[in-house]
Amino acid sequence: MALAEFLADLDALVAEADAAFAAAADDAALEAARIEYLGAKAGRLKDVQKGLGKVDKADKPAAGKRFNEVKQSIEAAFAAAQERRANGAATHQREAFDFTLPGQPVRLGRLHPITQTIAEMKDIMGRLGFTAVEGPEIEDDWHNFEALNIPRSHPARDPLDNFYLATAQLAPGDSPGAKSKSSDAKAAAKPLLLRSQTSTVQIRVMESTPPPVRIISLGRVYRPDTADATHYPMFHQIEGLLVDRGVTMADLKSVLRLFCQSYFAGGDEVHVRFRPSFFPFTEPSVEVDMSWTNAAGEHGWLEMGGAGMVDPNVLRAVGYDPEEVTGFAFGLGVERICMRQHGITDIRALYENDVRFLEQF
Amino acid sequence: MIVSTNWLSEYVDLPKSLDELTERLTLTGLNLEGVETVGDDTGVDLEVTSNRPDCLGHVGVAREIAVLWEKELKIPTAKPQAAGQPVSALALVAIEAPQLCSRYTARVIKGVKIGPSPEWLANRLRTLGIAVINNVVDATNYVMMECGQPLHAFDFAKLNGGAIIVRESQPGEKFTAINHQEYELPAGTCVIADAKRAVALAGVMGGADSEVSDATVDLLIESADFDCMSVRSTARALNLHSPSSYRFERGVDPEGIDWASRRCCELILELAGGQLCDGVLDEGSERPARPEIKLRFEQLPRVLGIEVPKPAVRKILTDLGCEETHECDHCVKVIPPSWRADLTREIDLIEEVARIHGYEQIPEDAGVRMAASTRTRSDRVLEKVRGVMVAAGLNEALTLSAVEASWCDAFRPWTNAEPLAASTPVLRGANCLRQSLVPSLLTARRHNEKLSNPEIELFEIAKVYLPQSGDELPAERRVLSATSGRGFFEAKGVVESVVAAVAPAARIAIEPAELPLLDPARQATVRLGDAVLGVLGELSESGREQFELRGPATVFELDLELLIEAAELRPIAQPLSPYPPVSRDLNIVVDEAVRWSAVEETARTAGGELVESIAYQETYRDEQRLGVGKKSLLFGVQLRSAAGTLTSEQADAVRDRIVVALGKSVGGALRA
Repeated sequence: MALAEFLADLDALVAEADAAFAAAADDAALEAARIEYLGAKAGRLKDVQKGLGKVDKADKPAAGKRFNEVKQSIEAAFAAAQERRANGAATHQREAFDFTLPGQPVRLGRLHPITQTIAEMKDIMGRLGFTAVEGPEIEDDWHNFEALNIPRSHPARDPLDNFYLATAQLAPGDSPGAKSKSSDAKAAAKPLLLRSQTSTVQIRVMESTPPPVRIISLGRVYRPDTADATHYPMFHQIEGLLVDRGVTMADLKSVLRLFCQSYFAGGDEVHVRFRPSFFPFTEPSVEVDMSWTNAAGEHGWLEMGGAGMVDPNVLRAVGYDPEEVTGFAFGLGVERICMRQHGITDIRALYENDVRFLEQF
Repeated sequence: MIVSTNWLSEYVDLPKSLDELTERLTLTGLNLEGVETVGDDTGVDLEVTSNRPDCLGHVGVAREIAVLWEKELKIPTAKPQAAGQPVSALALVAIEAPQLCSRYTARVIKGVKIGPSPEWLANRLRTLGIAVINNVVDATNYVMMECGQPLHAFDFAKLNGGAIIVRESQPGEKFTAINHQEYELPAGTCVIADAKRAVALAGVMGGADSEVSDATVDLLIESADFDCMSVRSTARALNLHSPSSYRFERGVDPEGIDWASRRCCELILELAGGQLCDGVLDEGSERPARPEIKLRFEQLPRVLGIEVPKPAVRKILTDLGCEETHECDHCVKVIPPSWRADLTREIDLIEEVARIHGYEQIPEDAGVRMAASTRTRSDRVLEKVRGVMVAAGLNEALTLSAVEASWCDAFRPWTNAEPLAASTPVLRGANCLRQSLVPSLLTARRHNEKLSNPEIELFEIAKVYLPQSGDELPAERRVLSATSGRGFFEAKGVVESVVAAVAPAARIAIEPAELPLLDPARQATVRLGDAVLGVLGELSESGREQFELRGPATVFELDLELLIEAAELRPIAQPLSPYPPVSRDLNIVVDEAVRWSAVEETARTAGGELVESIAYQETYRDEQRLGVGKKSLLFGVQLRSAAGTLTSEQADAVRDRIVVALGKSVGGALRA
C-alpha cells in the first residue's frame, strides 16, 4: 500500500472520529462511537493499524509515527468529548439542585425566659462560689417571719399582704384529738402561708448547716398584688447569702459588682452603689444600684434589688453567734431583670404561655 | 413625705443646689421620689422607710440635713402664753385603755375666732398637697407636718362633761367621722369618748359631732400616743387611712408630744386668738428610761469593711441626737434620742455611722475569698430533663401555682385529699394550691388554640402541693408535665427518652390507668420499680370539652423526685463486643388481647443473654388470613455475643426458643 493512501485513510479517520464524538448526544452514543473508532477488537483505528503492515518497508517509520499521532489525536478527542459530556451533566445537576429551598425543619422547643435568666444567674453565682438551693413554697410562721426578725406586730404579716392558707391541714379521717401535742393551739394560731420571700430557704439552710454558708436560694414567691403590667401575684426571687468569719459590707459590694459585671456589662466597667433602706432581716440595709452607660454616652443608675448585712437577730435565731460570724444577703427580682434584658413590657406575658411569645427566646 | 424647701430653710441652712440636696439625701436614706414647684416654693417628695417616722415631719428632715452638711438645727421653743383659768378646772382626761394609749395630753384654748389661715401657712400646706380648711385645723396639720406628731382639735363645747375618755369601743358602737360616714366599730377599737359617746377614732380620724366649725369658740387640743397595732387595725378595718394614722402606725416621738401640743397652741393663739388655759392635762404612764447602747469601735470594720475614725463616729452619733454617756479607746456608749425608736442595738448604731459617713466609702473591689460551689443533684437532673424536652420540640411554659377548685377535681393523679387553699384567691378565683400541672397546661393549650397557634407543645416543671396529715408541712412534689398535639405513642416516646437520658438503667413498666379526663383506652400509668412515676394519655372527648379544646391533646405528668433519686449522673462505660450482630425477624400471630409487653418479656427471657435488643416493627390485622380476634406482631431480635461471631445455627436456635416460649406463654404461633 502506498504511504499516501495510508495517510489519507488516517486523516479521514481523524475527521470522522471527531465528528462522531462531537455528535454523540448522550453517554451511550459516545460509548458506541468509542467502540466504533477506538474499540480494541474491531475498532476502525484497529482496522487502519492492520494497513500499517502493508505499507512499504521504507515508509514504515513515517507511517508508524503518523499512526501514533492519529491515535493520540482520536483518543484526545474522545477524552475531550467525555469531559464535555461530564460538564454538561454537572451543570444540569447543579441547576436541578436548588440549595435555596428551606432546610428540613428540626422542631426544637425553647426554655422559658425566666428559666434562662435563672440559669444564667445561677451560673454566674456558681462561679463566684455560691451553691444554689431550694426550699418549700408553703412555709410556717417561723421561717417566713419570726426567724427573719419580723415580729408579730410587723405590718409585713398583715393578711392583706400575704397568702395565708385557709385552714390548718388535716387529712380526711384524721381526728383532731389524734394529733400530737406539738400541733397545739400555737400552731393553729400561726397558719401556714405561701412564702413571700426566698429568705425562708436561707433560714432552713443555716438551721441545718454550721457556718460558713455560701448559697443562693431561688424560686417562686407570692404576694397579693393585683396583676398589671408590672405586678403579678407570683414571681421569682434569687437571694444570695454568705455567712462566715470576717464577712463585711465591702464583700457584699464586691460580690454584687462582680455579679453585675458578669451578667450585664460584658467589657464595660460597672459600678454599684448603696442607698440606705430598711429590711427587718438585714442591718445595715441598702438598696443596690448599678451604673449604666448607653451608646449616646448618657449614664445613670439602675435599681437592682435589696441587700444588707444579716441582722444579728437572724443569726441568733438559727443558732449562730453574731460575735463569731457576720454575713451578707441580697435579693433580686428575676422577672424585672428578665424583662429588662429581653425588652418584655408586660409581666403577664411571662405567664400567658402564648407559644409565639415562648418561641422568641 | 413631701417637704417644702421654704419651710425646711426655717430650721436649717439648705445647700444652694437642690440637686445637691436631693442627691445626698437619696444616698443617706431619704430617697427622692419627685420635685414639684408650687408658687415660689418647691415640694420635694422623699420616700421615708417605715423605720424612720422621725422624718415624717420637716424638723426630722432638717435634722438629717443639719447632720449631713454640719449645719445648726434651729427648732422653735414653743412657749405659748397661758392666761386663762387652770385647765384642770374645765376638763378631765382619763385613760381607761392604757394598753392602747400610753399618753394623752390636752390643752384648752378659749375664745378663738375661726377664720382663714394666713397665706404663708396656707401656701406651705398647699406645697405639701394638704387641703386648707381654717386657721385651727390648718394649725394642727401644720404642726403635724412640722414635727410628725398628729394633733386633733375638738370643739370643746361639744364634749359632754368636758371629758376625754380613752377607751375601747363598746359592742355595736357607731361613730360618724369627719367625712360624715357612719361606721360600726369593731369591738376593741380605741376611741376617744366624752362623757356620752365616742368623739374620735384614736389616731385615725375625728368625729363629725365635735369637729371645729365656724361657730367654734373653745378648743381642746389633743396630743397623744396611741398603740401602733391598734391604729393600724382600725385604719385597715374601716379603710380609713389618714396622715395621722400613717404616723401613729409607725410610732411618734414620745418626748415630742408636749412640744407639739405647745407649738400647736402657740400657733392657734397667733392665728385665731383666744386664751390658753393654764397647764396641761397629761395622763399616761411614765416611760422607762432608754438603756444606753454600746458601740465597740472594732465592730465598724468588722461589719462595714472600712475604718471610720473615732471622732467621726462620735460626732455622727451626737449630731443625730444621741447622748454620749461613755467614751474610751474601745467603745462609745450613747442613749439614743427619743425620736429614734429604731435605735436599740449596736448594729443599729453601726448603720447610722455607715449611712452618714457614706456608703460610697465602702470599696467594691474587696478580695472576696474563693470557694467551691456545687451543683445540686436535682439541678443536674432537671437540666437533663429540660434538654430532652426541648429536643422533643416542647416549649417550656410557666403557669400559676394556684388554680380554681374545679381544675383540681379535673385531674388528680397523686392524691384525693382536699386541696390546700389560700384564704384569698391568688388570681381571679384561683385559690387552690394545685395538685397537678395538667389542668394549667390544658388551659394554656386552650389559650393558644384561641390564638390559632398551629403547634401547641408545652411542658412545665413545677411543684404540686399535697396535704399531709399531722404537723408536717405539705409535701411539695416537683413534677414534669406536658401537653402535646401529638398522639399517645409520641408522648410515650418523650417519657421514655426522659427516663433514658436521666436513668439509662432504669426500666419503666406501663400499666392500665383510669383517669376520667383521659380516653379510657389510651391512657396508662408509668411505673418505676414499685413506685408510680406518672401518668400518660390522650384526652377523651369529654375531657376536651371540659377544657374547651378543639383539637386532640395528649398529656403526661411525671414525678421528678423519683427520677432525681433514680438518676445516674456518672454513667460507667460498658465493654463493647467486637463481634458483629445477627438479626432475626419474627412474625407471631397472637390473640388481640395479648399485649406487646408480654411478647417482649417472653422473647427477652427465652432469648437469653445473647439478645442485645428487641425492636417492635408493626402490628398486622387481617380477619381472612389471620382469623377473627387475631393479630400478628412483627418484631426484630438483634443477637450478639461477647465471645465470638454468632453462627446462623446459633441465631436460629435462639429464634426457635423464642417461638416455642411464645407459644406457651401467650399462645403465639409463627405466621405461616
